[in-house]
Amino acid sequence: MIRLIYSPLWFYGKDIVIDVISVIVLFLISFFSFRCYKMQKSKNHIYLSLSFFSIALSFLFKILMNFTIYYNVMETSKIGAVTFSYQTMRATDAFFFFGFLLYRILTLFGLYMLYSLYHKQSMPNFILVSFLMLMLTYYSQAAYYIFYLTCLVLLSLITASLMSNYKKNKFKMTKMLAWSFGIIGFSQIFFILVYIKVYYYVAGEIIQLVGYLLLLASFAMVLRDAKKD
Amino acid sequence: MPKRTKIDIIGDMLSSIIDKGGKIKPTHLMYKSNMAHKQMGTYLDELVEKELVQKIKVSNFDYIILTDKGTEFLNKLKQMRDFEKAFGL
Repeated sequence: MIRLIYSPLWFYGKDIVIDVISVIVLFLISFFSFRCYKMQKSKNHIYLSLSFFSIALSFLFKILMNFTIYYNVMETSKIGAVTFSYQTMRATDAFFFFGFLLYRILTLFGLYMLYSLYHKQSMPNFILVSFLMLMLTYYSQAAYYIFYLTCLVLLSLITASLMSNYKKNKFKMTKMLAWSFGIIGFSQIFFILVYIKVYYYVAGEIIQLVGYLLLLASFAMVLRDAKKD
Repeated sequence: MPKRTKIDIIGDMLSSIIDKGGKIKPTHLMYKSNMAHKQMGTYLDELVEKELVQKIKVSNFDYIILTDKGTEFLNKLKQMRDFEKAFGL
């Protein structure tokens, strides 16, 4: 049985707002990177743009799924009919299954693409890892924490790469980016612990929001400081 | 040193004009942006065509000035460079 709801009832909708903010930040960076690609025609820019776009798209699927589930749950609590809820969920099982599958695979794919920017991968390696991620996502539906654990590993590696870049270039924005990815990575630990208490989901979402806001601040500073020079 | 891309060369040319207060003589631009005469001519024609720079005459001397569009383009280029630097691209 796939567990679909991690959020406590009072947090319904608030997590959607947090995810919408994350989507906006991710789309902004993806769009800017795409604009850079159009100017420079550099492969790195298009890969960066695609990785952020993939993560943004994954969040959109998560929002869509959560929105539908919360709507169903709220409607059911209003009517108070358990059978009705059961039937509604059964009718949309396939929808949720593919929705969450897409959310997870797009997140992992985006993070792996980002990781590949810092650790160049050969094409066979890229195909192999993508295939393994697909298998991992499919066969770990019940063990949801495997997905968050994989995100944690990828985000830690990306943070380490950014930190290593910062040691070389001493650029403040690189440090801020490293911190934001580090914080987003840290939030995954709370998502892993959701099975202990649902409140970890709230903590995870809030920490993730801090991470994405820091990412937005870093991006805004890059744009602002370049204009000041 | 890695070979400069087209966008690098354009960036160097526009920065050289800014460094000289927004107005530069063609020969100075050639030296400052490390270019050969013929190469600079080709690039300059393109920049003029795209309205990023303008050729003017002041007391019988040729000058190249940066347009508003050119300044805006240079800003975008700087943003792109900082973005690349931040992500380590």
